[in-house]
Amino acid sequence: MIDPQTLVFLLIGASILLILVVVIRPSITASREGKIIAFLALFVVPVVAAGVGASEHMERSEHTQFCLSCHIMEPYGRSLYVDDPSYIPAAHFQNHRIPADTACYTCHTDYAMFGTIHAKLEGLHHVYVYWFGTPMNPIRLYQPYNNRECLHCHAGARSFEDPTHLAMMGDLKSNKLSCTTSGCHDTFHNVDKLGQVKFWKAAE
Amino acid sequence: MLGKLRISGILVILGLVVEALSLCWNNAFSFMSFVVVGGLFFASGILLFLYSLVSSKPSAVKNPWHTGRF
Repeated sequence: MIDPQTLVFLLIGASILLILVVVIRPSITASREGKIIAFLALFVVPVVAAGVGASEHMERSEHTQFCLSCHIMEPYGRSLYVDDPSYIPAAHFQNHRIPADTACYTCHTDYAMFGTIHAKLEGLHHVYVYWFGTPMNPIRLYQPYNNRECLHCHAGARSFEDPTHLAMMGDLKSNKLSCTTSGCHDTFHNVDKLGQVKFWKAAE
Repeated sequence: MLGKLRISGILVILGLVVEALSLCWNNAFSFMSFVVVGGLFFASGILLFLYSLVSSKPSAVKNPWHTGRF
């Protein structure tokens, strides 16, 4: 199976070759076949190539490496390596409870209908603000963290079916009781305290 | 007409080259290069091509887009 990046490069190569034919010998457009070639070369194939390229870029934007490429996110990336299991993101990342290569996206996407689109639009807004505006400092979530994002994985898991969680499941599902701010799991990135913690280093 | 065709071709090629280069890295800079620089070249090339189609005059012999065969 051909991977998307190879497909994009093949489309770009084919497109450039076709365009070069038209650019070097524009007189071919005098014929009907030439017009068709010109239309394919200068419109159809480039649009398809750009579309597949845009799709590939959007897929890559889910990667932890992409999120952490903005300077402002660097401490949040470091917080994933804090050697303290009470740090929820670090514990999830280090124990591969979430995919390490899409760690940010896995917890910060929106597990609702059109959630992926919503998350990516917000991501585009972040990139825009980072490059052309002034990012908020410190950064914060637009909305309180929704339990739905936790329950997407934890609900139904055997390890989660303990009496404590089962007793409050209704309130958790309705967000009456927050997983993150009700005093149970309230240690997150805490980037302002990174100078006071130990860090875990993965074995080579 | 032919000049516009050439220029639009070159612009689209530049856009595609930027797109190809941007796919060599995975960071916000490459994404922005793709969207802003690549998108600018690409959109201007495509729009110029489409403009050349609609703006060409139907002078059958001199303009190869209008040979009267359509």
